[in-house]
Amino acid sequence: MKKRYRILQGVAAAAAITVALAGCAISSNATASGSDAKVTLRFWEYYTGTSATWIKSQVKKFEQANPNVTIQLVETVGSQQDQKLLASVATKTTPDLFLNNIVVDYPSLVAGGVAKDLTSYWNGYADKAQFPSSAVWKTNGKVYNVMTYTNLIGLFYNKDILDKVGISTPPTTLDELQADLAKVKADGTYEGIALSGAPTVEGAWLFAPQLLGQGINYCNFSGSKVTAAFTRVAEWSKKGYTPLATATWDQNAAWQQFFSGKYAFGINGNWQLGGVKTASFAYGTGQFPKPTGGTSVVYPGGEGYGIGATSKHPDIAWKFIEQMILSQQGEKSVYATTGSIPVRADVANIAALTNDTFVQPFVKAASNSAKWPNNTNTANMQVALGKAVSGVISGQSTAEQGAQAAISGIQAAEKAGGGTCQ
Amino acid sequence: MFFVAPAVVLLVAFAAYPLFVLIRMSVSDVGPTNIVGTWHFIGLANYIQVLSAPDLWFSALRTLGVAAMLLASNLVLGFLAGSILSVGGRVTNVVLGIMVFVWALPPIVSGSVWKFLLDDNGAINGLLHVVGLARVSWLSSPNLALWSVAGIIAWAALPFSALIIRGGLLAIPRDVIEAAALDGAGYWRTQFQIALPLLRSTMWILAILTVLYAFKSFDFFYVVTQGGPGTATNTLPVQSYNTAFSGFNMGLGATIAVISMLFVALFAIPYVRSIRSESDE
Repeated sequence: MKKRYRILQGVAAAAAITVALAGCAISSNATASGSDAKVTLRFWEYYTGTSATWIKSQVKKFEQANPNVTIQLVETVGSQQDQKLLASVATKTTPDLFLNNIVVDYPSLVAGGVAKDLTSYWNGYADKAQFPSSAVWKTNGKVYNVMTYTNLIGLFYNKDILDKVGISTPPTTLDELQADLAKVKADGTYEGIALSGAPTVEGAWLFAPQLLGQGINYCNFSGSKVTAAFTRVAEWSKKGYTPLATATWDQNAAWQQFFSGKYAFGINGNWQLGGVKTASFAYGTGQFPKPTGGTSVVYPGGEGYGIGATSKHPDIAWKFIEQMILSQQGEKSVYATTGSIPVRADVANIAALTNDTFVQPFVKAASNSAKWPNNTNTANMQVALGKAVSGVISGQSTAEQGAQAAISGIQAAEKAGGGTCQ
Repeated sequence: MFFVAPAVVLLVAFAAYPLFVLIRMSVSDVGPTNIVGTWHFIGLANYIQVLSAPDLWFSALRTLGVAAMLLASNLVLGFLAGSILSVGGRVTNVVLGIMVFVWALPPIVSGSVWKFLLDDNGAINGLLHVVGLARVSWLSSPNLALWSVAGIIAWAALPFSALIIRGGLLAIPRDVIEAAALDGAGYWRTQFQIALPLLRSTMWILAILTVLYAFKSFDFFYVVTQGGPGTATNTLPVQSYNTAFSGFNMGLGATIAVISMLFVALFAIPYVRSIRSESDE
């Protein structure tokens, strides 16, 4: 009775705080247990563009191979899926399958009881040795999410513009990039760099590599190097190397700007490699430019796949993950369609990947990526940084104020998340 | 009594109970780990934390700024639009139809369109550039973004106020208007000196509804700026949402929501009294 009361409380609370989170209540319709019974799996996902094309194609293949199974793709808004998933626990209607922005959402989803324990499935998976430990997300020794690809950010450049303004070699360091941006600006015909500076995790993700390569991460985020990094972005904004609107752009908006052909440079992810092939200009890619005296290090990202805690068909859901997501075919096709970097050892060296000069910088980045903080409040640490970055780019705060706000915000979030980090 | 029962049940289920849970949550430590479990009572700790941080007061100031802009738009422009539209005719009917369409547009649709129009490289800046004016950072300047979004909200709310005021104007007895005309008053003089005083109670109620609307405006901010750049468009509803659903501190988010409600209550009480006095009349 008490539990039911708590569940009611959870539902009512969600209704009280927000009016925009009414989930699509599509229920599984399989009630029969016989092998001929029709089964419908609900799969919550937020893919767009080439990623959406890929997942739809994988679902279609699975349905063709398993005529009794239908997978309903429920498209959600990425930034709201977390809340919907947490609410679905209260109503015991978690989807059968879901994906999530693992580096941001995983701690809260596992803590909220959204994800089913996949340990027994994973232990019984014949190909598990093909996957690095970073692809298997565990809490207290239990597996809750698995990854099939990783996404990293790097530098995109418009070769046509670089040729026109007299830049013969794309930059490999932030200092070189800044000098090149000055050349583009002096030319006056084109814009400098399109990147995300939104007051969210996205702005933080794009900013962090300026410091990661110098050994500064969320766990030791302080000191003069932090201020110097904020000073650099403030200068880019002040000198017009990047527009004021960067302070509001998410990665998609920043990509659209680069894709328009007006920008010499763009910082974005390898998942754009599928779409960039249709660009109307010659382009190239490189690793995120190295900070002064440092190396090129970025945070790894990507989607985690999980099974809902209250799924009535976890076996079939795992079959889908195993055959269509984790398989060689799944990884090869996601790379071919979207440009995402496969994590399976037996796919990492396929010719299509090693011969692709555009993807190689991202492959290199994957081999030397940073480690995310071990804290349940990681999302808030990132948001604190994103807000500070956005504020500095827009001119709302100075570089010093932004650095101080980021340092105190990250430390407060870390403390609220239990104080662990490394 | 029997006839009121369904209304009472609905009110309790959809208003009173969620409100009770919200208040209960605001005095508890609630996060993703225990949203469905036990909520630990922590007294006023959330309130002390929220009220002692400058963020809340900045958010409250921004919300009041939005309310002020909406008041000016809804009352002044609303009265002008309502006056013009109270004159019948084919054009009036067409304009009324368009206004209802604008009012009925989902904020996610109209917000997205405005976001596109007001972008640094958007259509409005394109137009300014064509006529030789400098581009304006409508949404990316921390000094302008709040007012740009407030302007969008005002645009979306204007049809409602114009229609309410038009209804009030049409309800004024014709002989009063005709008497003013016989005395030599022109149209606008009649509107300002005869009709406007008669609309006092309507305008008062509209003003209160406008303030309430400002304090619950979240959707346009979410679609257009997400609270940015920096924290420039962080109003109380945006801060409450981000705290509860991006930061997953539901207890603190609920606290900010309750404080917002207290602000709203300051205006809701005179609204209820106005409604009562209207009924008595």
